[in-house]
Amino acid sequence: MNTPAFKHETFRDDYSFSNSAEAIRRFPFPFPEDDYMYSVNIEQHEPGAPGSVLEHLIDIDEHYLAECEDRRLTLEQDPDRCIITPHMIDAQWDMVELVMESLAADYPQWFSLSKNGDDWHWINTPMGIDQQFRFGDASTLPMPPFEFITRQVQGDWIIMDQRDDDLFADMGMVTSQADWSIAFDAGMSFKEWHGPVPQANEIGVFDRALKYLLHLQYGSPVRRLNWTMTVNPRLDTSPENYPFWGPDNVSVTPENVGDKVYLRVELQALFRLPRSNAIAFSVRGYLISLNELVTYPRWGKRLHRILKGLHPDLSEYKGLDHYRQTVIDWLAPMDDGADLGLGTQPE
Amino acid sequence: MQRGYWIRSKPIYGSLVWQSPAAAHLVIAAGEGGIAVLKLFQQMYPREPIQVLYAGQPKTGRDYAEILGSTVPEGLQICNSEAELLETLKTQLGNYHMGTQFYVAGPEAFLWQVMKSLGQVGVQDADVHKELAGTLARPVYCVHCKTITEAVHHNIFSCSHCGRKLFVRDHFSRRLGAYMGLMVDAEQPGNIPKIEEVYP
Repeated sequence: MNTPAFKHETFRDDYSFSNSAEAIRRFPFPFPEDDYMYSVNIEQHEPGAPGSVLEHLIDIDEHYLAECEDRRLTLEQDPDRCIITPHMIDAQWDMVELVMESLAADYPQWFSLSKNGDDWHWINTPMGIDQQFRFGDASTLPMPPFEFITRQVQGDWIIMDQRDDDLFADMGMVTSQADWSIAFDAGMSFKEWHGPVPQANEIGVFDRALKYLLHLQYGSPVRRLNWTMTVNPRLDTSPENYPFWGPDNVSVTPENVGDKVYLRVELQALFRLPRSNAIAFSVRGYLISLNELVTYPRWGKRLHRILKGLHPDLSEYKGLDHYRQTVIDWLAPMDDGADLGLGTQPE
Repeated sequence: MQRGYWIRSKPIYGSLVWQSPAAAHLVIAAGEGGIAVLKLFQQMYPREPIQVLYAGQPKTGRDYAEILGSTVPEGLQICNSEAELLETLKTQLGNYHMGTQFYVAGPEAFLWQVMKSLGQVGVQDADVHKELAGTLARPVYCVHCKTITEAVHHNIFSCSHCGRKLFVRDHFSRRLGAYMGLMVDAEQPGNIPKIEEVYP
């Protein structure tokens, strides 16, 4: 995917979102085996195979412009999706540096960054942004630095301040979340923030993840995958707007399940930031409809087995209870029971 | 969910106990929180300077102003409402220094309003001790219209601003000082589970 055309598509109303064949092939399918339970599953965020979602530190794909536009619409309706605590000013500039440098280095055909001391010049060609500013001087940008840069990148970003041997969600741009609210969760410690997740506390996942992250080093980012399912390709499945998308959860039928139900995978990457010593936690979502997914039979079979064996608490927490059985019934005829071996590859 | 599941953001409150070492003690209580203050003085009368702010005339429960008047040895100030107490607190916080220990007792909404005032002048969480007193009524934040309803007694209630029927979750935000309220019948309008008093 060297030069994808950015698609014109929507994640609300008429839901015109879809994946190209190339986007399906590179989808970060999250299940290497037939069973699923929470685990820390953290690995180094090192560059992956060319064309894969892991090729670059921050992945820009064919949905870039449409996702940024969806974020703009969400912020227009609810500015509290971007929360910035005053003491996070150094982390705001850390984020400007991280995103601009990564994008300019990895996608020079679209982004450019030139520096003359603290005078920076940023060009985002797809979005038509040409901005000169003084690094460290927020008055030279049209909005807070963190908001400025996170409006130009896909995925949600939560910046965690590190103090008292804990991590606090003190800043965030969260418009494409799996049913959690940055306005509500802002300021929470690591375990408070993950408080509602069932089963994971019991097996010590958050204790271990927190210990690990407190020692995260600058220049050695890490990543993991997480997943859920969504009805319709909606990015803004927020608690705030649950009254609007909640009814979709009971709209799935055996006839529309392949079109309406999406596997939603989060590529979560964590970066230590140099000035603030905060941690940037990026949650980049990828959506794929079941119809698109089963174009690779191996994935269809695997997902069938995962959903059949899913712990009831996880099913409830992920909000799948209304339609999980419908999905299982739809996938069942495609699963011949063959041994799939280990691995997430499509074929 | 299986038994044993609980949401880690839910605050767990203890009983007030004098802390040592302390440069001074500031005790802040409302309504039934008066009992927690009396219990403190049954433990002992600390050597360090003491101040007690008490909001009497509670809407429900007993007023402990009189009995506190004969128990608290120094620094007792009685306010006529929680709002008056919070105002008084704000004007006096400048007088406190590093090493002061803070004790707060009362309904949950009150505890977190005090926490907010203390936080604004840089008091560390570790120096504040909280006891929930008299009622389990919860402050609840409507995640849809962002309004906080102060004393919710039922598992499901109508938001005081947008009127949606909200289910009260155990998920708690210290910044907002409230539990999350989430629309209960979003998926199937009108389908509302049994409403019960669970936070008397």
